[in-house]
Amino acid sequence: MHQALVAAGVVLQTAGLLAAAPLLKVAIKKMKARLQNRQGPPWAQGYFDLAKLLRKEPVRSDVASWVYVAGPRVYFAAAVAATTLVPVVVAAAPLEAAGGILLLVGTLALGRFALATAAIDTGSPFGGMGASRDMTIAALAEPALMLGLFTSALAAGSLNLGVLVRELVAHGPSFHPSDLLAFAGLFIIVIAETGRIPVDNPATHLELTMIHEAMVLEYAGPDLALVEWGAAVKELMYLTLLADLFVPIGIATTLSPVALAVGVVAWAAKIAVLAIAVTVVESANAKLRLFRVPELVSVSLGLVFLALAIRFL
Amino acid sequence: MTANVLILCAAGMLVTAYLMVGQKALFTAIRLFGVQSLFLGIVATTIAFSESRPELLVTAALTVLLKTILIPWFLMRVIDRIGIHREIEPFLNVPASLLVCVGLTVVGYRVSTGFPEGTRGVSHHLIGVALSMLLIGLFLMVTRKKAITQILALLTVENAVFLVAVGVTSGMPFVVELGISFDVILAVLILGILVHRIVDRFESMDVSRLSKLKG
Repeated sequence: MHQALVAAGVVLQTAGLLAAAPLLKVAIKKMKARLQNRQGPPWAQGYFDLAKLLRKEPVRSDVASWVYVAGPRVYFAAAVAATTLVPVVVAAAPLEAAGGILLLVGTLALGRFALATAAIDTGSPFGGMGASRDMTIAALAEPALMLGLFTSALAAGSLNLGVLVRELVAHGPSFHPSDLLAFAGLFIIVIAETGRIPVDNPATHLELTMIHEAMVLEYAGPDLALVEWGAAVKELMYLTLLADLFVPIGIATTLSPVALAVGVVAWAAKIAVLAIAVTVVESANAKLRLFRVPELVSVSLGLVFLALAIRFL
Repeated sequence: MTANVLILCAAGMLVTAYLMVGQKALFTAIRLFGVQSLFLGIVATTIAFSESRPELLVTAALTVLLKTILIPWFLMRVIDRIGIHREIEPFLNVPASLLVCVGLTVVGYRVSTGFPEGTRGVSHHLIGVALSMLLIGLFLMVTRKKAITQILALLTVENAVFLVAVGVTSGMPFVVELGISFDVILAVLILGILVHRIVDRFESMDVSRLSKLKG
């Protein structure tokens, strides 16, 4: 019974997130377009793009090895695996028995590593440049992400995200200054990790500035579809993580239909609010020069470090 | 509920102080100061309602009017007139300043436990945040070269003192508060004129050039 429940949870949650991820991307694009007095793409554009890419034949360089082929697959698999560790609608992660925050960060790092090595594989300068830039930012963002998550873990007394959220729901938010500091720090990290504007511009392919896009420039067809879908799922997962840790309101604690319905609505509402925040940040800021990005990330590192320190004072 | 709002607003003020340290664009720094003062206004309003001290509403209104609207507007106008928008490389680079500020905040928080009111609860956080902001403000004043950033640092220190005065003590007499508000406007006006003079003289807002005796 319990195993069946876990399996059902994994399948339903993964399918739901995979289905919703392209919608989030389009929603942000659409809101951004509205802020610029444009119409923006139709709501289903994300699905059209994925369908188009998946139907095409993969074009690969002659010199590419298996690393190049494995890159997008590992990246996508890591992103999907990471979502199973995060509670979304129910206050329990489907695979929470497997691990908590450390496994989550490790899985994401594995995906990033696979994509970066794949980018270097063909030996094209663009891929290598993108990979090196992505890693530069990741090297700073990853510890900040971990410290930020640890701040919440410290309040709940567990590194497991499922237990953590249940603790938060049971005791209510702690309303400690470190919550806000950690939220501000993690929000910057989410912006940096998902390649949003002050750090990276998802909409252009300008060689001087692109980071993530440079890394995946050589991929085409289904390979590219996997990378884009994986990135979208990762973005949705980060926003869900923020919602879970700092506003655990409405998340279902029982499996009754009413609680689940409330959970879905609450989750969608929280993601929508966070998406609006991301859009506003994207529209109100100019892209930072590459060498200024570490400064921004170090601000968030400072914030989360402080959040952790204040917990003890 | 009241305690939660107070703590969140105080934390918000601390976050804005941090972002100010990590920020080189002057406009953004000024906006951050505006947001910080708005948080202060919310703190004052919350206390006014929870402890039924209606005179604090006037304080809150003055704070929001002056520090969220009037002073940022004035400073932005000064910058527009001068046409210098970015902080030049400060004496200490951003990551190092942030590290120092983390240290200062820890010190501020630790010291706040020494106050009789500061051992636990809301006042612990209010005093801790205020002391940290005070130290961060002083630090900003020492390490930044732009006259405008130094004004913002001074105002941050002022906000910190105000936070303690409103949140922890039983408040200042109304006349004193009016006097302080008036003082702040005058200080900013005079400093604004001073910035103009510095820029006229040295063609830069860099105050480190002031130590040169011959131009």
